[in-house]
Amino acid sequence: MFSSFSSNCRVNVTTDPRPAVRMTRKRVSRPIRELHVTQQRVQSGKVGRKKKWQPARCGVGSNQNDKFLDRPPLARTQSMALLYEMVWRFLHALLYVQRTLVAWFRVHIWRWKRAVVGLLLPLALGFHNPKKTGPIGKRTSRRIRFGAEGRTLEKLPLHVGLLITEEEIHFTDIANLVVWCMAVGISYVSVYDNQGVFRRNNSRLMEEILKQQQELLGMDSSKYSVEFMKNGTDKQEHQVLSCQSMVKVLSPDDGRLSIVQAAQQLCRDVEQREKTSKDINVTVLDSLLRESKNIPDPDLVLKFGPVESTLGFLPWHIRLTEIISMPSHVDVSYDDLFGALQRYAVCEQRLGK
Amino acid sequence: MSWIRERELSLLERLTANILKAGPMPKHVAFIMDGNRRFAEKTHVERQEGHSQGFEKLAETLRWCLNLGIHEVTVYAFSIENFKRSKEEVDGLMELARQKFNRLLTEQENLEKHGVCIRVLGDLTLLPTDLQQLIAKSVVATKAHNKCFLNVCFAYTSRHEIANAVKEMAWGVEQGLIKSSDVSEVLLSECLYSSNSPNPDLLIRTSGEVRLSDFLLWQTSYSCLVFQSVLWPEYSFWNLCEAVLQYQLSYRSLQKARDLHREDQALQQMEADRSCVAELLQHRGNGKPMDAQSRQKELLNYTASREERVRCFLNALQHKRDTFFSDLSSQAVVA
Repeated sequence: MFSSFSSNCRVNVTTDPRPAVRMTRKRVSRPIRELHVTQQRVQSGKVGRKKKWQPARCGVGSNQNDKFLDRPPLARTQSMALLYEMVWRFLHALLYVQRTLVAWFRVHIWRWKRAVVGLLLPLALGFHNPKKTGPIGKRTSRRIRFGAEGRTLEKLPLHVGLLITEEEIHFTDIANLVVWCMAVGISYVSVYDNQGVFRRNNSRLMEEILKQQQELLGMDSSKYSVEFMKNGTDKQEHQVLSCQSMVKVLSPDDGRLSIVQAAQQLCRDVEQREKTSKDINVTVLDSLLRESKNIPDPDLVLKFGPVESTLGFLPWHIRLTEIISMPSHVDVSYDDLFGALQRYAVCEQRLGK
Repeated sequence: MSWIRERELSLLERLTANILKAGPMPKHVAFIMDGNRRFAEKTHVERQEGHSQGFEKLAETLRWCLNLGIHEVTVYAFSIENFKRSKEEVDGLMELARQKFNRLLTEQENLEKHGVCIRVLGDLTLLPTDLQQLIAKSVVATKAHNKCFLNVCFAYTSRHEIANAVKEMAWGVEQGLIKSSDVSEVLLSECLYSSNSPNPDLLIRTSGEVRLSDFLLWQTSYSCLVFQSVLWPEYSFWNLCEAVLQYQLSYRSLQKARDLHREDQALQQMEADRSCVAELLQHRGNGKPMDAQSRQKELLNYTASREERVRCFLNALQHKRDTFFSDLSSQAVVA
């Protein structure tokens, strides 16, 4: 980790037109004169000719490479730069350790909790309920519980996007999340990662979802329709009797690329004189984008992983989407999901007003 | 008050800035300055005062960004959705904008000293004419500066921006400058209001809301998003440092994702060119199959001609936009 960071640091430094020198404390007391040195000015030797104008790295002080010889010795400024870099590395090392510890605790405490509940629950049931609650009964009661909890929330998102930023994907955990979302009463669930892993393994994902449905809820698999997004037209739709929820698999192609394809379509119409450029506006583009993807905009995106970015997830559609971050999708619990839904329920959308 | 505060950082702030700068720093930061009205409520002042304080905070934040080596800042000042607010509030905001842009025009020397280039992004035709003229004057006056850039999104929503870019490309097709097959992700990016800026590295939203609210949706696909619960008028240097730290932590993954996307983009462009050439050859075809070398040559020729077309189109588009601003600006002078 450090080597790559340091290589990044080095890149940062070498792209700077001046040699790798940093501000000394002595220098920073100068008034801020100039803020930026362009490469041209350095090369043309204009740097520092005028007394008034002094190039500074970022206004924190001034630093000229032509007045370099007049400055304190090179060694001193270089050692300051080294010191700052070391402090920076130490800070990031601390943060890394903190993150790892937090993640480790989260996973282990959850596992411990699950184990304890697994041990105690049968005992509790044994005391309070003389009737034998078999596995099917337990699942049915869980399903009812999920549904009931969903109804206690002030508002439930219509469409939830699961955005996985982690590189290693655990399909079982994703399937759990999808099944819980459906059980709570969310109509549309999308699954996305920026490397297209879900798109390439959609059959595996589907199998896992069906398996987890069976295991967690004991549901008849024909009750849910699993539809997979393809570019352009929808394919592989499994016809069902009654569809309560829809699962969509998305990849970066469904984002910017589909906007570009819509733009190409409109330009072709203009080329063939079916439209003029003045006819193009937000509504036209929006309806074109909705043609191929017949789902409402995501109300909520649950982002899993340490990367703080949408990584290309449906840029057009997420204009009013709440983005809630979760630490990881690995060993995620129903309580984590419900906590996020509770956060969503209390947020207030003013829509510009 | 001035657009850029002339204030030095304290010793501790300077130290922190230097430490942060040892790592990768964002070159372009976008701010959603949310929380002015809540701040006004909290401190029992008028809403207008809240917005005014918000502007002061903007000036201070610009100074911090310059200190940290962030030379490009984009701010979300007024959304097209904000027109839905009460007439009183909207008029108040327009008046504030008039004051600030007027102030800007009197600060030419200061802006030149710092080399600040102000750009205003959005559908300016929705604004009152006198404000449009003021804005045009400010933009034209600071156009030549190139040390740091402030992009103010006024009467802006991202969907409008994208739809407008598509409209511009359609205009290009109408004028015969480009073909519909030339439309690509790169070309669309060049047609956005923000085409003269690189994509933001870091987007910061204050006041605790965790949504993008139609701001730079296209441009922030691979940016670091930081949501902070502090209200905008209470923003501090340490909040900014926290956001930059967050950026540094996500830096490697974001670089990787961006590189992957760029590779995909290049591949898609090549595929598109290939299929266009194949179509072209089919139309031209005289039945003889072409060998690989001449096919490659055709492909290179096609790519070169496409790039030339696109270049001419983008020049024409830039000229159209520059003319819009200079016309408005000269109207202001006459008036």
